[in-house]
Amino acid sequence: MATVWVFVEETEGVPTPLSLEVLTGARKLGDVTALYLGSGSQEAMATVGEHGATKVLQMETGDRLPAGPVAAALANKAGEDSPDLILFGQNYTDRDVAGRLSARLGVGVLSNASAVRLVDGRVETDHEIFGGNQIATATCAESPFIVVVRPKSFTAEPMGGAAPTVETLDLPDTGSSEATVLESHVEEREGPQLGEASIVISGGRGLGSAEAYELIERAAKPLGAATGATRAIVDAGWVPYAKQVGQTGKTVKPDIYIAAGISGAMQHLVGMKDAGTIIAINKDPDAPIFSVADLGIVGDVHKVLPKLIEALESR
Amino acid sequence: MRVLVCIKRVPAPGAKIVLTEDARSIDTSLLSFAISPHEECAVEEAVQIAEATDGEVTVLTLGPPEAEEQLRAALAVGAGAAVLIPTDGSDWDPISTASAISSTIGELEVDEPFDLILFGNESADSGGYQVGIRVAHALGRPIVSGIKAIGVEEGLLTLRRETPTGSELYRLPTPAVTAVKEGINLPRYPTLKGRLNAKKVEISRMTANREGSGQEMVRLVTPELEVSETEILGSGADAAPAVADLLERLQRAG
Repeated sequence: MATVWVFVEETEGVPTPLSLEVLTGARKLGDVTALYLGSGSQEAMATVGEHGATKVLQMETGDRLPAGPVAAALANKAGEDSPDLILFGQNYTDRDVAGRLSARLGVGVLSNASAVRLVDGRVETDHEIFGGNQIATATCAESPFIVVVRPKSFTAEPMGGAAPTVETLDLPDTGSSEATVLESHVEEREGPQLGEASIVISGGRGLGSAEAYELIERAAKPLGAATGATRAIVDAGWVPYAKQVGQTGKTVKPDIYIAAGISGAMQHLVGMKDAGTIIAINKDPDAPIFSVADLGIVGDVHKVLPKLIEALESR
Repeated sequence: MRVLVCIKRVPAPGAKIVLTEDARSIDTSLLSFAISPHEECAVEEAVQIAEATDGEVTVLTLGPPEAEEQLRAALAVGAGAAVLIPTDGSDWDPISTASAISSTIGELEVDEPFDLILFGNESADSGGYQVGIRVAHALGRPIVSGIKAIGVEEGLLTLRRETPTGSELYRLPTPAVTAVKEGINLPRYPTLKGRLNAKKVEISRMTANREGSGQEMVRLVTPELEVSETEILGSGADAAPAVADLLERLQRAG
C-alpha cells in the first residue's frame, strides 16, 4: 500500500476545509499521514483522524514565515520515511512548502491538479490550464510525487477513523525565516461562507455598477445564500477578492447556483459548473452561461432581481 | 531600491487555444501574445517603488526571441534595463525555468543584490505557481505570494495579501522575493516618449542551461463542456416569481 503524506493547515484552531478535502481524497490512494501545521488541539487531531489520517506529524512555527523551516524538516523526514506521494491543497503556504520541498528533494511538483490517480506505481494528474480551456494530464518520473490539489477536487467526508498517533516534528533554523507575520486579520462576515453554502448567488458585469451588487446581497438574505462574484467585478473593485468564483478564485459546488448578470467566461464556469442546479439571469439569450444553466430567465438583472427579492421576501 | 521583475510571454488571455496534432502542445502560429496579467501589475509596482525610492527597475524573461516584444513593453512603461534568456521556443517546465532564472540573477547580482525581486502570482497559461518560489529558495530568500499591497520603509517591506477569511500583513527584510496579484495597481499605458525610449535600450541576452526535471506531459485535451438543456422560465421581471417558487421547491427537496 502506498504511503501518502497530506499537508494540513490550521486556521482558528481547526484544520482548513481544503485540508479535509485532500485528506478524504488521499485515503483512497494509500495509508495517510497528516503533516499538521498548527497548535493542533485534541479535537483537531480527532477531525484529522476521522478524515483518514492514521498518523500525524505536527509542526509549529509561531509568527515566523513557515515555508522555509517546514520544507527543511519535511525533506529530512522524507529521507527517513520515503513516502510515495505528498499532497498539498492549493493555498499560499502549501504552494510555498511544496515548491521548496521539491527543490530540496530534487523532484518535480504537479501543481494546480484537479484529479490525482496512481497508475502502475506512478502518479497521474489532471490540470485545467489556460483558464480551463484545456485539460493537461501530467506525470513525474521520480517519487515522492508532489502534487498540489485545487479546492473542491474532492469532497470532504469523515469516515469515523480512530484518533491518529501524533509525533512532533522539530523545525530547524533555515535563515530565510526572518520574515514575520505582523497581523492576521479575519473579516467579520455575516451569513454563510462561499465555500460551504448550499445556495450561492453571484453577480457579474451585467450589474453595471458597484452599487447594484446590493441586489445580490438582498436576494441572498431570504435564501440564506452566500454571495459570489466574477473576476471582472472583483478586478473592477466592486467587491473584495474573497467573493471571486472561478479559476483564480474559489471553486464552489452548492446545491443551487444563481448567476445574475454573468455572461459565463470559461474562467468563471470552471469554478461553478459542478453546482447542482444552475439558474442564470441574463439579458443576452446567447450568453455562454445558458449553455451550463439548467434554468434561465432572459432579462435585465435590474428588473428581474428586485421582483425576485420582492417575491422571496413575501414568503 | 533595485528591483527586478520577472515576466512571462503568454497567449493573450481569452484567446482561443488550438492544439498541435500530437496534442502535447499548443499551436502558437495564430495567437497573439502579451505579458501575463499578474506580471503586468508586477512591472507597474516595480516602477512605482523605483519612482518612490529613487531606484531602478530591471525586467527579465525566459522565452523565445519574440519575447523581446514583452520586454520592450515593460521598458516603455518605466523599466530601465532588460534581460532575455532566449529559448528555442519550446515550453520550459518550472524547474528548468527557475534554475535558469536563478543562475542568471546570480550573474546580474555580482556587484550588488536586487533589494526586491517581483513575480506575478501565477502565469496566465500554465498557472503553476512554482517559478517564484523556486527562485526564492535557490537564492535563500523569503517569498510571500498573493500580494495586493506593498509598502517600503527604511529597507523593510510591508506586504498585504487577501486570504479566504480576511487579510494578512507581513514584514520582510530585503533582499526578498514577492509574487503580486492582479488588482494591486492599475498598470499605466506607455507614453509616446516611453515607447521611443524603449526602442533605444539594448536588451542583454544571457544564456542558461536547460535542466531536466522528470516532469512529463502525457496529453492535452480540450474539455467538452457539458451542455445542459436550459429551461427558460420566462423573460423579464415577470418571470421572477417562477424562480422564487422554484427555489422554494428546491430548498424543501434539499
